[in-house]
Amino acid sequence: MNFYLFLDLVVAGLVTGGLYAVVALGLNLQYGLMRIMNIAHGEFLMLGAYFTYTLVKVTGASPLWFIPPMMVVLFLLGLLLHRLVFRRLAATSPNAEAMEARSLIVGFGLMFIAQNVAQLIWGGGMSGQPYLDEPVKFGEVTVAANRLLVLVVVAAASLALVLVLKKTLLGKAVRGMLQAPLGAMLVGIDTRKLHPACFGLGLALAGLAGGLLSMVYELTPAMGEPYTISALIVITLGGLGNIPGAIAGAVLLGLVETFGMYLTSPSLKTLISYGVLVGVLLLRPKGLFAR
Amino acid sequence: MNATTLIVFVAGVLLGAIPAFEAPFVQSLALTCLMYAGLAVSWSMFSGPTRYLSLATSAFFGLGAYCTAWGLGKLPWPAVVMLGGVAAMVFAFLIGLVTLKLRGAYFAVITYGLGELVKHTITHIEKTYFRTVGRVLTETPSSTTVYWTVLAIAALAVWTYVAFGRSRWGHALRGIGMDEERTATLGVNPMRVKLVGFCLSSWFAGALGAAMAVRWTYIDPHTVFNPFIVFQTVLISMVGGPLSVAGPLVGAVGFSLLSEWLRLSLPYLYMIILGVLLIASVLYLPDGIAGYDWKKLWRRRKPEEKP
Repeated sequence: MNFYLFLDLVVAGLVTGGLYAVVALGLNLQYGLMRIMNIAHGEFLMLGAYFTYTLVKVTGASPLWFIPPMMVVLFLLGLLLHRLVFRRLAATSPNAEAMEARSLIVGFGLMFIAQNVAQLIWGGGMSGQPYLDEPVKFGEVTVAANRLLVLVVVAAASLALVLVLKKTLLGKAVRGMLQAPLGAMLVGIDTRKLHPACFGLGLALAGLAGGLLSMVYELTPAMGEPYTISALIVITLGGLGNIPGAIAGAVLLGLVETFGMYLTSPSLKTLISYGVLVGVLLLRPKGLFAR
Repeated sequence: MNATTLIVFVAGVLLGAIPAFEAPFVQSLALTCLMYAGLAVSWSMFSGPTRYLSLATSAFFGLGAYCTAWGLGKLPWPAVVMLGGVAAMVFAFLIGLVTLKLRGAYFAVITYGLGELVKHTITHIEKTYFRTVGRVLTETPSSTTVYWTVLAIAALAVWTYVAFGRSRWGHALRGIGMDEERTATLGVNPMRVKLVGFCLSSWFAGALGAAMAVRWTYIDPHTVFNPFIVFQTVLISMVGGPLSVAGPLVGAVGFSLLSEWLRLSLPYLYMIILGVLLIASVLYLPDGIAGYDWKKLWRRRKPEEKP
């Protein structure tokens, strides 16, 4: 393997890892804060991709214009879902374990609904809307401009989220809820407002990843599933509720997948991801960075 | 012979007479009901009392089906079905050794992940060593033989659910579901009990996979390791209520009839309705139809009737 090929693979791995990070951060917030094991998380990525795709197709404008409003729509959808389903679920579940199991089943239900609604509206698979697909050269390394754009946007989004969590009072409240749910309530953090907001934020982040993907890859109603699994692996790698850990885990998984696929065969991608998941759960069930 | 054995035996004989009427549609519908009843009852056998949400059923089912694909024609039919169950049991034992230490959503996710891992591994093996993506099953037994086989497995599952639930093992499993540490201090070895329960329940899913494989004539990993199998099984058990044997049975019959009615006419809408049902049942019937206190409705109405 020469040096340039190595760099190519690193860039590809970083793009994949960055997308995983954005999807996993949302799921990590939902799981870490509310014990919602949202197996339908990737479905919101799919919805974000289809929304963006449709708007671009209708108006012919750049997809970047539509990503922010689409994220707002998904955020509101998240508030609605939390109000209709997860609030009642949290109120009626006797303990965290029951909440996890029951939210997992609800997630499967949401997955059926979202995938088949998409199938009814948009039909089966269709090619994405290529945007900015001309190559950009850095010396000997060539990267498609849209992948570079994806990398920049996801890095900015992850960084922004980390900064908000670290530097602002709101972020402090969220971190407090992650560390001690009961303690957070006792010191006056309004969990009834922040929980739905964090749930919606998770959906909006998944939608962001979907909007970016619609410029690069093919769209299918089932396109979200692999991202849900990757996000679960990332959360397991990084540790529950650990935001920097999740970002590190996402980049690691992206690189492992890209290099693994290059060294073996692309058909083994899923095998590699599940292999990593099973390995980590068995060897370090509390995450790679657990103390 | 106790009451349960008698009821299962009588019901089995009555259902076993269906092929005599030579009504292919009724027989095929009954076969679907029996398959789901068997899967849901065997799933509830372990996951009901322990509250471990196992998503490995698709893997057991698929392994059983592949035993049929490899063994049909070389071995007699009963041996093929037995082998399918045993293969699932061996797999359950191996994954149980490591996964049964985990709890909650982790267990669910890893059993799902391991199932997908098996699916992709078998796809890879078939592609690399046998140069094929699927297999055509020839020399299949008659549909009546398949029906009786599935009936026998389902009846055995119901009988085992009741007998196992009443045994010391069943009590220990329920204890683990309520409080594992307390059960351990009472002298139960939780790991051993969980392993036995998990393996026992896996046999039925594997045997059903082996028996049902011949219905497809062409099988590939994506059909027989379909995650939809486990979703349906969990849905039936949860909607019906996994804590009594009546729950999964009621769920299986209702579900098979509903899906037969909707699937042909409105395939996508069918899945959407399924999703809504799943969510509604989790929200409003957390213990399932059989676990709901139906008398409560009666009691609440009574005071209103008074003047």
